[in-house]
Amino acid sequence: MSRLVTIVFPNGKKKTQKVPQAEAWNAIIDLIYPEIKPGSIVTLSGPLGAGKTTCVQHLAKTLGGKKLIQSPTFALMRVIPVADNRHGIKRLIHVDAYRIEHDEELRVLDLDEEVTDGKSICVLEWPENVQSWIQKNQTRCIAIYIKV
Amino acid sequence: MNNKSHTILAIETSCDETSVALLRVSGNKVEIRHHETATQIPIHARYGGVVPEVAARTHVAEVVSLLERAGIFLSKKLSTVDAIAVTRGPGLSTALRVGIEAARTLAFSTGKPLIGVNHLEGHLASSWLVPENRNQWKFPILALLVSGGHTELVLMKDFGKYRIIGRTRDDAAGEAFDKSAKLMGLAYPGGPLISKYAAQFEKTKQKSRFTLPRPMINDPSLDMSFSGLKTAVRQTWEGISNEERSNESIIAEMAWSIQDAICDVLVQKTQRAIQKHHPVAVTVVGGVSANKELQKRMAEMIQTQTNILFHVPAIGLHTDNAAMIAAAGSWRFSRNAFDRWQTIDAKPEWNL
Ligand SMILES: Nc1ncnc2c1ncn2[C@@H]1O[C@H](COP(=O)(O)OP(=O)(O)OP(=O)(O)O)[C@@H](O)[C@H]1O
Ligand SMILES: [Mg+2]
Repeated sequence: MSRLVTIVFPNGKKKTQKVPQAEAWNAIIDLIYPEIKPGSIVTLSGPLGAGKTTCVQHLAKTLGGKKLIQSPTFALMRVIPVADNRHGIKRLIHVDAYRIEHDEELRVLDLDEEVTDGKSICVLEWPENVQSWIQKNQTRCIAIYIKV
Repeated sequence: MNNKSHTILAIETSCDETSVALLRVSGNKVEIRHHETATQIPIHARYGGVVPEVAARTHVAEVVSLLERAGIFLSKKLSTVDAIAVTRGPGLSTALRVGIEAARTLAFSTGKPLIGVNHLEGHLASSWLVPENRNQWKFPILALLVSGGHTELVLMKDFGKYRIIGRTRDDAAGEAFDKSAKLMGLAYPGGPLISKYAAQFEKTKQKSRFTLPRPMINDPSLDMSFSGLKTAVRQTWEGISNEERSNESIIAEMAWSIQDAICDVLVQKTQRAIQKHHPVAVTVVGGVSANKELQKRMAEMIQTQTNILFHVPAIGLHTDNAAMIAAAGSWRFSRNAFDRWQTIDAKPEWNL
């Protein structure tokens, strides 16, 4: 079962591509990598089991992360050390809003502070659950939509 | 070693739960003197009548109210406490800090020692709270830690000496239960519902028509993978008609297959770990350890192994709670492993 993936960049440009298997996410990472910088937010939308976390695993690897990326659904947030010299990114903040019902609940994650430290990017699964936070940060968002 | 009798006050605020406990340890006698977890108390009692607008994971009001209910603000009660234990991680830093600030303040104002506890060590210690387990407590012990956020095989070589020898590479086992249930349209939390339905199908003594994958089960490593179950459950479930999907006996049949697949992986990987590391005993801890079928299959598998004890899970202490933090705190107390109130901080990514 392959996935159809659409990327929407901050400037509104769109790109759609097929990801035929779980190992093939690098094609998507190659498209977004030049566009990310410290403070960027990458949102991942798609139904349960679409491959959101799998995509984050590939992104982390591209950024030089060594740590195993497990699903952050229950932890809500995990911070993964990475080492990307080109963009100066040192931390990947992996957020999963699956269990979050209201934007206000994001407060406990201190996200605004975490993402704006000048050396981090944020990847967020289930952005639908925290829409107003995403809207507030729209200009820094790269949106990835996954169709199963 | 410090063998002195002691009473530990423990505070847990690592993610969803706020919990406070008092544990008395003298020799081999261990007694939970007080134990309360916020979600088990009616919401108005928890917040003293005023329910905050966003209650989830704020912890502050809850910690204060739980400490008050434990009698900690009465000097007579407080004077019976020998040390204050608190979860430092892993967990959400803002949540952890609430517990740490409370514990730090108590330690500063009373001069009592402070003990920072690893939440995962707390889960390991939950099994030690069962008297029968404690009476036969000998290392090395192999622990399967399974919850919504964790799936790890841990080799406990001694108190404080742990090694993670296997882990999930993606979803936790508890998460696999919940998300499978969600895909079937069952209510949250789906885990307990899956086991309830599965038991219903088990009674029919039939064979399930559904086959689900067991990824990595034959992989020589002790690692596991559960994320593929979501795709398999979706495909299988969408493959049957709408009408059948609302039929209770079909739901039960599917639930049975889901539980069967998850338990199979957990039990077989535990068996592989036994054969590789030769522990004296095996224990299962964490939220999923409450699953009866997992307990039963684990016990059956262990019976086929020579001379291995099964430390049964501690009833009522599977999910996050402060009693287990107090138990791990007591282990540290005995080793004089204290922290300074001036410098203790949260460790959100702390591993065992
Ligand atoms: N492009 C792909 N083609 C086929 N299978 C894929 C693809 N990407 C991921 N998968 C598989 O889909 C399954 C689910 O993946 P994953 O856990 O990453 O999904 P998710 O969207 O993060 O799920 P959740 O909604 O639970 O967070 C895994 O077994 C993974 O290997
Ligand atoms: Mg995911």
